[in-house]
Amino acid sequence: MEKLLKELQYAELQRQTRRHFLQSCGFGLGALGLGSLLDSCGPTSAKSAMPGEEALKARIPHFAPKAKRVIYIHMAGAPSQLELFDYKPELVKYHGKDCPAEFLEGKKFAFIQGVPKMLGPQSKFKQYGQSGAWMSDYVPYLQTVADEITFMKAMHTDQFNHAPAQLLMHTGSARLGRPSLGAWATYGLGSENQNLPGFIVLASGGQPDAGKSVYGSGFLPSVYQGVQCRTGGDPVLYVSDPNGMNRDMRKQTINAINEINKQTYEEVQDPEILTRISQYEMAFRMQMSVPEVMDVSKEPQFILDMYGVKPGEGTFAMNCLLARKLVENDVRFVQLFDWGWDGHGTSKDHNVEGGLRQKCRESDQPIAALIQDLKMRGLLEETLIIWGAEFGRTPMQENRNGLVMPFMGRDHHLDAFTMWMAGGGVKQGFSHGETDELGYYGVKDRVHVHDLQATILHLMGFDHEKFTYPFQGRNFRLTDTEGKVIRQVIA
Amino acid sequence: MFYPLLQVSGWFSNWALFIGRFHPVLVHLPIGFLLIAAFLEVGRRTGKISVSESTISFILFWSAIGATFACIAGYLLSLGGGYEEELLSDHKWQGIGVAVFAWIAWIVKSDLLKFKIPFSTAIYLPAFGLATILTMTAGHDGGSLTHGEGYLTQYTPEPFRSIAGMPPITEPVTEIKPIANIEQAVVYRDIVQPILELRCVQCHNANKQKGDLRLDQLALILKGGEGGPGLIVGKSAESDLIKRCLLPESDDDHMPPKGKPQLTNEQIALLSWWIEQGASADKKVVELKKSDLVKPALASLSSGGSSVAGAKSSESPILHLKVQAGNEKDIEALKKAGLIVNNLSRDQNLIEVSAVNDPNFGDNQMGLLTSLSDQITWLKLGGTKITDASLKEISRLKNLNKLHLEHTGITDAGLANLKNLQYLEYINLVDTKITDAGLKNIASMKGLKSVYVWKSAVTDSAVSQVSRLYPKLLIVNGFNEAAVAQFLKAGDSIQTAVAEKVP
Repeated sequence: MEKLLKELQYAELQRQTRRHFLQSCGFGLGALGLGSLLDSCGPTSAKSAMPGEEALKARIPHFAPKAKRVIYIHMAGAPSQLELFDYKPELVKYHGKDCPAEFLEGKKFAFIQGVPKMLGPQSKFKQYGQSGAWMSDYVPYLQTVADEITFMKAMHTDQFNHAPAQLLMHTGSARLGRPSLGAWATYGLGSENQNLPGFIVLASGGQPDAGKSVYGSGFLPSVYQGVQCRTGGDPVLYVSDPNGMNRDMRKQTINAINEINKQTYEEVQDPEILTRISQYEMAFRMQMSVPEVMDVSKEPQFILDMYGVKPGEGTFAMNCLLARKLVENDVRFVQLFDWGWDGHGTSKDHNVEGGLRQKCRESDQPIAALIQDLKMRGLLEETLIIWGAEFGRTPMQENRNGLVMPFMGRDHHLDAFTMWMAGGGVKQGFSHGETDELGYYGVKDRVHVHDLQATILHLMGFDHEKFTYPFQGRNFRLTDTEGKVIRQVIA
Repeated sequence: MFYPLLQVSGWFSNWALFIGRFHPVLVHLPIGFLLIAAFLEVGRRTGKISVSESTISFILFWSAIGATFACIAGYLLSLGGGYEEELLSDHKWQGIGVAVFAWIAWIVKSDLLKFKIPFSTAIYLPAFGLATILTMTAGHDGGSLTHGEGYLTQYTPEPFRSIAGMPPITEPVTEIKPIANIEQAVVYRDIVQPILELRCVQCHNANKQKGDLRLDQLALILKGGEGGPGLIVGKSAESDLIKRCLLPESDDDHMPPKGKPQLTNEQIALLSWWIEQGASADKKVVELKKSDLVKPALASLSSGGSSVAGAKSSESPILHLKVQAGNEKDIEALKKAGLIVNNLSRDQNLIEVSAVNDPNFGDNQMGLLTSLSDQITWLKLGGTKITDASLKEISRLKNLNKLHLEHTGITDAGLANLKNLQYLEYINLVDTKITDAGLKNIASMKGLKSVYVWKSAVTDSAVSQVSRLYPKLLIVNGFNEAAVAQFLKAGDSIQTAVAEKVP
C-alpha cells in the first residue's frame, strides 16, 4: 500500500513540471488581479453586503429624521412659476416688448429663437395666509393651506429638456444609471410595512418623459426600485391570482420557486437572487394588502368630496388620496407623476392660459386636500410633501420657428423656477429665495437641484455627503460632488 | 546647469522628463543584480554553492551599468521638481554611491584591471558591501520621495508599534469635536486649527504643500505660499484664507477645491472673526470682542460646529439625551414579537418602536416594552388592540417623545396615566374614545406640542377653549362634512373662471 502511494506521489511530481509552476504562477497572479478588477462589475459585487429581505431593514440614519415619509408630487412637463407663485408685476409692463439682449446673450433655449417678446403673467395674484404667500387665482385651494408651505422661488437646474432634467431632479444626474431619490430613501431608512413596497409610484396623465429610470434603483440592489401601481383596475398588474388558481396553490408554487432560487443562490451567491426571492414573497403578501390599501370604497363620502374623486377613476386626485392611504400604512416614499404641464402655447391643452388653468383645476383641490387630510390624521408633521417640476418657464413668450403661437405659451427655463415643500420638518408659511423683477434669474438664495436633494436627505436623517454606496470602485452619493443643505427652510 | 536649459527649451525638458520617468524602471535592475551578486558571493565563500568568480564579476558589471543609467534617469527626473530638497539630496548621493562602489567592486575583480591596482583584494569586499548597503538606503529614500515619508511603516501593527515607540495609528480628522466650555476655549487652538485640520490641512501640511502653503501651524499660515501671506492680521476681507473660501465654487482659485467638502458659513465667520481680532495664538474666546455675526457660530460649536444654531431651537431636548444602549435580548424579543425596532440615529441609543406589522399587539405584550423604558422615544401603537391597561405601562417609558395611539380603544382614564411623561411632545388620539375631559387633562403637560383628536369624542368648542388657554399647543380636530363643504367653496372662483376660458 505504502509503495503504491509513494508511486502515486512520484508520478504526480513527475507530471508537475517547471512549466506547470510558471503556468499556475502566471494564471494565478493574473486571476488575482482580474478578480479585483471585475469585482465591481460581476454579480458578486459589493451588493452582497445586504441582499434581499435583509436589505429592506432600516439602516440607522445619521441623525433623527424629521421626515419619516415622503410624498413627492412631480408635475411632468413643468408648469409656469410665473402664473402660479412667482408674482412679477414688472413683467406686466414689459408684456409684448422685445426681450432685453442681456437675457439672450450666450443662452440656449429648447425652442425660442431670435428675439422673443416678453409675456406678462396670465393670472391674478394675491397674498394669502398669515405668511402673506403670493399665489394666483389658478390655485384657489392651495391658498387655504398657504401657512403650511415653504416656497423655494429661486430654484435652478442644468438641463432644459424634459427627460434629462427629470433624471437630474430625481437621480442627481442627467444621465441614466443612478438610483432615484426614493430608492436612496428606502435604501437608507428601510421599509416599514412588510406587506407593501417601500417605494410606490403612481402616475396620471401619462408617464414621465424620462421613463422608469426616474424611479429606478440604478446601481442599488433592485429591491429598492419604485413599484408603479395602477390607479384603475388591478393596482398591480398580474398580482391577483389567475382563474382556477387558489391562494394555497399559489403559495406552494412560490415556495417551490423560492426553494430552487435558494439553491441557486447557495451555488452562485448572487444577491440579486435573494432580491428575487423576497420579491416573490412580497408579491404574495401584496395580493392581499395592495387591493385593500388601494380600495377607496370604504372612505367616507366627505373625504372623497374633499379630494374630488369618484371611486374607480384613475385621476391625479385619486392618486393623491391613495398617497395619503399609503403613507398612513407606513409606505416610505410615494412618488406621484402628473403629465401634461408643458405649456408651450402650441395647443389648447398646452399653454399658460386655459390649458394651465385646467391642469390646476384637476390638481389644486386634491393637493390642498392631501395636506389637510394628512394634518388632521397627525401625519403631516412626519411626512414631507414636495411639489415641483423638472424646470420652470421663461418670462418670454415662445416663438417656435419664429412663428406666433396660437396660445400664450412659455419655453423651458432652467435659471429660475419655484418648488414648494410642506410638513416633514420644513418651515410653515415661509418663502426662500427671490428672482429678479422679470423672473428670469434667481437673485437671492438660489437653490440648485442638488441643494434640494441634500436638504430632502437631511430631513430624512441623512448627511448627503456621508450617505454613499460603493459602485465601480468609488463611493457614489445622490448629490455626487455637489449640494448644500438649505438650512433656512428647515423648521 | 540644466535649469536655464530647462526654462528655455521645452524640447529638452520633455526629453529630460521622458527619460527621467524611466528611473523607477531602471532602478530595480541594479537592486536585483547587486543583491543576487551578494548572495552568490556569500554562498561561494561559505562553500555552499559552486559558482565561479567570473560569474559574480559579470553580474557586478551589469549592476554598475544599471546603477549608472538609473542615476542619470533619476537626475533628469529630479529636474521636474516637487521633491523635498534634503531627502532628494540624500537619495541622489546614495544612488551615485551605489554606482561608484559597484564599478570599484567590478574593477578590482576584473581580469584586465585587478593586477594593476594595489590592495585590490582588500578593496573588493568593502566596496561590494557598501554598494549593497547603499542600495537599500537609497531604495528606502526613493520610496519615501514618491509615497511620502513614513509610508512604509504607516500601518505597523501592534505590538511592534509600541516596541518601536511609534504613536498609535491616527485616523484622519472627519469631524469637529464639540466644545464644552466655549468661553474658555483658546480661539486658535480649539476653534481655528480644528476647522483647518478638517478642511485644509490634508493638502497643506508638512508632506504635501499645494501652492507651497502649509496651514498646520500658525507661523506657516502667516508666512503663506505662492499667493502671498495666508492672512492679513486684522483684515479678514483682504486675507487669502477667507477670500478664497468666499469666491464662487466654480472659480479656479476657490478653496477648498470644487467637489471637496466646503467650509460652512459659520466656520468662515469664525475664521474671519479670529483674523479681525488679531489672529492671536493664545487668546481665549472670552478675551475677544464678539460681533453679532459670530455669536450663533460660536453657539453652534457646542454641538460640533456643523449645524446652524437656529436649526436646533425647534428640536426636542430628548434628541440630545444620552442613554445606555438597550439590552440586545430585550430588543430581539420585541423584534420576535413582530415589532419594528430602529435606532433614532447613529450617535445615540434612543429607539423607535412600531407595531405597524402587528395589528394584534395587545396589553399582555406591553411588558416587552417596559424593559426598554430608557430607550424607547418614539412609539407607534396605532391600530393595535391595546387598551387603557397598556397606558399604565407606557407611562413608565420616561423618555417617550412621540406616541401614536390612533384607532385604538383607549379612553380618558388611560390617558391620565401619561401626565408625568415630561418629554412627550406629540400624541395622536385620532379615532379613539377620548373626550373633552381627557384633552383638558393632558393639555397642561409642559412639553406637549401637538395633539390630534380627529374622530374622537372631543368637540370643536373644547378644542378652541383649550387652544386659548395653551396658545402654543397645536390641537387638530380635522374636518367633518360641514368643514369640507366650506373647504370646497375655495374652488368657486376657479370653477367660474374655467367656465369662462374653456369652452
